[in-house]
Amino acid sequence: MKRKIMGAALFLVLLMMGVVTVVPFVWMVLSSFKTNAEISALEQTLLPKAFTLENYATLQSNFNFLRYFGNSVFIALVVTALVIYISCICGFVLSKYQFKGKNLIFGFIMMTMMIPWSVTIISRYTMFVDAGLQDSYLSLILPAMVSGFGIFMMKQDIGALPDELLEAARMDGANEFAIFHKIVLPMSKNSISAIAIFQFLWVWEDYLWPYLMIDSEEKQLLAVGLTTFNGRYSTDYGGLFAATTISIIPVLIIYIIFQKRFVAGVAAGAVKG
Amino acid sequence: MKKKLWTACLAAVLVLTLGGCSAETAGQHPEGVVDTEPDKGLEVMGNHVTYDPNHLVNDGQPVTLEWWLWDAPDLFGQMAEAYMEIHPNVTINIINNPWDGFWTKLPLALQKGEKGPTLFNVHNSYQHLLLPYMAPYDIDLDQMQEDFFTAASHVIDGQIYYTDFGVMTGAIYYNKEMWAAAGLTQEDIPKTWDEFREVAKKLTIVEDGKMVQAGFNYNGDFQNLMLGVPYQYGGTIFKEDMQTVSFTGEGMIKTAKMLKDMYRVDGIGSEDFGTDAAQSFGQGQSAMVYKWGHFYGYMNTNYPDIEYGAFEIPTVTENPFAYDRYNGEATPGINKNASPAQMEAAQDFIRFYLANTRIQKELCMYYSLFPASNALRDDPEMLENPAIAAVSEHIEDYIWPGPMPSTLEDNMKIAAQDIMYNDKEIEKTLKTAEDIVNVDLANIDFTSAENLYYKYGQEG
Repeated sequence: MKRKIMGAALFLVLLMMGVVTVVPFVWMVLSSFKTNAEISALEQTLLPKAFTLENYATLQSNFNFLRYFGNSVFIALVVTALVIYISCICGFVLSKYQFKGKNLIFGFIMMTMMIPWSVTIISRYTMFVDAGLQDSYLSLILPAMVSGFGIFMMKQDIGALPDELLEAARMDGANEFAIFHKIVLPMSKNSISAIAIFQFLWVWEDYLWPYLMIDSEEKQLLAVGLTTFNGRYSTDYGGLFAATTISIIPVLIIYIIFQKRFVAGVAAGAVKG
Repeated sequence: MKKKLWTACLAAVLVLTLGGCSAETAGQHPEGVVDTEPDKGLEVMGNHVTYDPNHLVNDGQPVTLEWWLWDAPDLFGQMAEAYMEIHPNVTINIINNPWDGFWTKLPLALQKGEKGPTLFNVHNSYQHLLLPYMAPYDIDLDQMQEDFFTAASHVIDGQIYYTDFGVMTGAIYYNKEMWAAAGLTQEDIPKTWDEFREVAKKLTIVEDGKMVQAGFNYNGDFQNLMLGVPYQYGGTIFKEDMQTVSFTGEGMIKTAKMLKDMYRVDGIGSEDFGTDAAQSFGQGQSAMVYKWGHFYGYMNTNYPDIEYGAFEIPTVTENPFAYDRYNGEATPGINKNASPAQMEAAQDFIRFYLANTRIQKELCMYYSLFPASNALRDDPEMLENPAIAAVSEHIEDYIWPGPMPSTLEDNMKIAAQDIMYNDKEIEKTLKTAEDIVNVDLANIDFTSAENLYYKYGQEG
């Protein structure tokens, strides 16, 4: 009986937390179909009193929404793919090969996770400008393609794979390239899914670095474009909500694709060693 | 099969990466053509600052300028288009930025010398940040002052690096429906603060001891009123050295007392009646608010259905030292490290900008600014805008204290909270704010422009 009550209480708490988390999101989506006057009105309603698609229809007039959206998808996919691949290779090497200085290298990688971005951003900016990479997508891809977090996750995950399995493959004549691609990668899907979701989200919402590096409007990313709704004196909330609603779609798709393996992946990275 | 799929995916990523990295900037204007025709057959523009389009820029050779701005890319783009139509060898690429990040990115970009933007929009509060990178306008100072009534306040070491195309200040905005419901007419527009308080009482509605309509709501604007109204008493905010403030003058204390009395004695508003007067006005809860010109745009965006008017800020005497302070919206700055070709084109464009009243009119209409150009002062179309019309009669009698550091507003806001919410003594609270601001100002290279005001030295 006590167990049932505890279970029900836990369920209620979780339900409330879920509602608290989801309601602002639902409110934002529904508000994207309201006029600015209704969004700022004294009497608030969840559903629009006067349904309008105006905020969506005028999105393109504020900035080249579709272009920015496409740019963000492109950069997020490229960086995510590169981070996954590089993290897996590094994780494989650091967990399954024995060589001098291995722990030192891993220590350095871990250290990169502990330095706040604000400390390195000025030197990084100067470096990339001096290298002539301003206004180039390479300036967004290069610094993001090696992820300390990703390498850490993959080292933990791949380290848990039985050495015997890899030895057996070697005995069967598989070279290291084949072992990595045919055995290690397929067996690390859970962690790869977790990294994919995290990395995609980080790139998708990154604002300052893309803003500093990209000058051309046709190369600019959506996170930067969204800030143009915040004017100096007022904010076009309707437009902002509409743009944000659409901008969430790719993140949702990525999550839906990887969600089954996401939790398992996070747990694997956290406990295995 | 899987291997092929992986390979194809990786190849696609690679191709896209390379393609993306080397993509042409498709949205930008193509490079200008060679211009061989100096005589465009166009009329000379302007009054004192004139622009004769009938000449070649950069000997007609192609030159490209980047123009950075934070707002209205279409409007500024039209100006650039108009100029490029006259000088097809000049290409002006508009780069729009979000306001929040603009002041981080622009100084960094200007450090790149001629690779940085040639033209960039300026806000006077960031003058200290941009001045080291700015080239002075190649325009006669006297001519500038003949055409622009605020130009004198932007003279730095005998040169002008930017000036105002329009100015913005405070006015009282009132809800027309509530005004009529209270039996008020145009004849009741108050001229003095005493009259204003009486009108506000008529506009206030209290039901069952609860305020349902504020006659006047200044929540969120106490500090703005405190940094404007005291001029009416004849005092200035800055002391004679123009580098330290005085918040304990007669005007400051009387203004603070008056504002507090409006709520506590007259009961025409309340500090507990919401924190944002603008929102309260838009939601039809407040009959009058004190706002600056940008309120016109705010209302159009958020509350287009509210019918409202505006009138000039009331005064304490018939001929005050100054009605209020104003702030200007600036013309673009020129990158002093631009290449000679870019510099020539940029200077030519600025002259085109300043001599072209049509451009300035569009800008002022867009931002609800009173035009700085004397030629536009009585433009009937502009005076249809209530924000512009309200300040038009005495615009010369508004003072510009200079690009005020944010510490003044920030600390006055804290003082306002202490006075209104914590019931702290006015004199002591203002003295505390004054001390903090002066410590901050000691660490900032700032000199007020109050002494450039034409009535300076005639204070009461």
